[in-house]
Amino acid sequence: MTETSLEPQENSIVRWRFTLVLAVFGLLLAVVLGRLVILHTVDQPFLFEQGEKRTVREEVQPASRGMITDRFGTPLAVSTPVVTLWLNPQQVNIQQLPAVAKDLDIPAHTLVKSVERAASQGRSFIYLKRQVEPDVAEKVLARRVAGVYGDEDFRRFYPAAEITAHTVGIVNIDGKGQEGLELAFDDYLRGHDGERKVVKDLYGNVIKQLEVNAVAENGPDMALTIDLRLQYLAYRELKAAVQQHHAKSGSAVIVDAHTGEVLALVSQPSYNPNNRATLKPEDMRNRAIADLIEPGSTMKPFTVAAALNSGRFFPSTQIDTSPGYVRVKNKTIRDHRDYGVLDITGIITKSSNVGVTYLAHKLGAEVIWDFFTKAGIGQPGVLGFPGEAVGVLPYPEQLDSLRLATASFGYGLAVSPLQLAQSYTAFAGGCRQSVRLIMRDEDKPACEPVMSAKVSRQILDMLETVTSDKGTGSRARVEGYRVGGKTGTAHKVGRGGYEDSAYTAVFAGIAPISDPDLVLVVVIDEPQGQEYYGGEVAAPVFSRIMGQALRLRQVAPDIPSKNTLQMAGGGA
Amino acid sequence: MNALQGTLWGFVVVSALVQIAQVQHHRDLLQVWQAADKQRYLLLQEHTRLVLEKSTLLANGRVDQLARKRLNMKDPEQVQVLSE
Repeated sequence: MTETSLEPQENSIVRWRFTLVLAVFGLLLAVVLGRLVILHTVDQPFLFEQGEKRTVREEVQPASRGMITDRFGTPLAVSTPVVTLWLNPQQVNIQQLPAVAKDLDIPAHTLVKSVERAASQGRSFIYLKRQVEPDVAEKVLARRVAGVYGDEDFRRFYPAAEITAHTVGIVNIDGKGQEGLELAFDDYLRGHDGERKVVKDLYGNVIKQLEVNAVAENGPDMALTIDLRLQYLAYRELKAAVQQHHAKSGSAVIVDAHTGEVLALVSQPSYNPNNRATLKPEDMRNRAIADLIEPGSTMKPFTVAAALNSGRFFPSTQIDTSPGYVRVKNKTIRDHRDYGVLDITGIITKSSNVGVTYLAHKLGAEVIWDFFTKAGIGQPGVLGFPGEAVGVLPYPEQLDSLRLATASFGYGLAVSPLQLAQSYTAFAGGCRQSVRLIMRDEDKPACEPVMSAKVSRQILDMLETVTSDKGTGSRARVEGYRVGGKTGTAHKVGRGGYEDSAYTAVFAGIAPISDPDLVLVVVIDEPQGQEYYGGEVAAPVFSRIMGQALRLRQVAPDIPSKNTLQMAGGGA
Repeated sequence: MNALQGTLWGFVVVSALVQIAQVQHHRDLLQVWQAADKQRYLLLQEHTRLVLEKSTLLANGRVDQLARKRLNMKDPEQVQVLSE
């Protein structure tokens, strides 16, 4: 029998295996530890940078652009929050893009192709769609597609659209002013974007805010002197007149006669600033401030005012305009017909070129130039807008007898419709107001004295005769109100001098005559057809705009009515 | 010496705990701020939408058309019998 031992026997193979396994594990541990050490020391800066790149974001918080309102707070330009969607082609899953494209109403294959191209170029940012409505953006982001992000943005809307387009202007897709007030006051309206550094997760959620470099400051609101009600009716009437006369363009300006505040500033043709796809550069021209016109006969009241202000002439002074023309430096200056002997009032009423030529020659170039300059003719710009026209008034030494004569009835000099309206404020008390478009808290700025109050009253009375049956502007009359003004019909300048059949029809006027409240200038450029005189084309527009504007402003009628308002059941 | 070491270790532990609490507090506040900011954004959206809607409804051209066509209103005349 063999004896069996119960004691475990030492097995060299077992020990060897145990040692080997232990060694392998130890080696693996050493490798892991070594790798850890390398990652934490040698590769640490690189890994830290890459980690930051994937999670830390420099985020810009866009500031809301200030609202532009009319004088009563009615919004004319409003920035509304929208979302700009973008994606990182390196992170996005191409399979998920068709659904996103469908939400955004863009062709799926176009999106996939552009993402693949961007990914192959190594780009990490492309716009998916800019300025998306928030509810649509929410739908897209709710899909939680990795690599698709949404940033806050603002889109500019113009509630009054075409009516205030030229004045308010327009911004581009980046919210930068391009035209009008949006351009002129871009820095003021824009505000300051906020900047912060945050840690974001894969879906764009902020999980940690590291630092705030700047806090977003919204742009301040800006109130204009514009009265949207007057702006609308001026726009409506001007548009109708331009269409009726098949005119090339037109403009109208309403100015408060006492403060110089611009209440309406409209141009035709206009454009819809809410639809950038249909913008045409020629429609974007603000003709009321950017176009220069020869004011024609609308300058005659200034020549006459200069004469009266000199003290050498009086409203009753008689001037013989026979035989209806006068020769100046081999040129003939004509009236429509031989008006014979006219007093100063008659010169305005009949719009006599011969009469004002006589007055201008008697006064001399220096006096006329000085008076016109005080009235604001030839000024560089009145609002400080980009693209604002610079007025033209020749210096006295340039005004020889012929140029002096033509300047006296509005040829050889140039103004914008707004400058002309500004000049006409001088007839409301003798002091020319500086026009302004922005509401200000400060007191009324000092005005420029042009003529005595007495002379301005005399001119107002003369201007009223223009709208009488005897005058050239009878169609400018407004029922219930005493209205004064001056018609102007100027030949347009072409390549070969003055055109025979291209005119600018102008009417500049003021109302009510007893206590002037509004100055209105209407310009219709190149009216076609039989009617082209200022009294035929521009005066009716003046009448319609002025009548409605005075009623809207609740200005008391200054022509006493023969009839009284009849109330049903009224006893007395 | 042991007491001082113990106190210092105590400070270390307490300050570590305070820091953890502060970080957590900061994250909580960030969440609150984020929620408030989102609320502000939504209110701004709503406000501007309402402003635009009001402007559209009160647009002079629209009111003018409605007054003339639907309400048969017309421009006032100088002398007018208001009703018989």
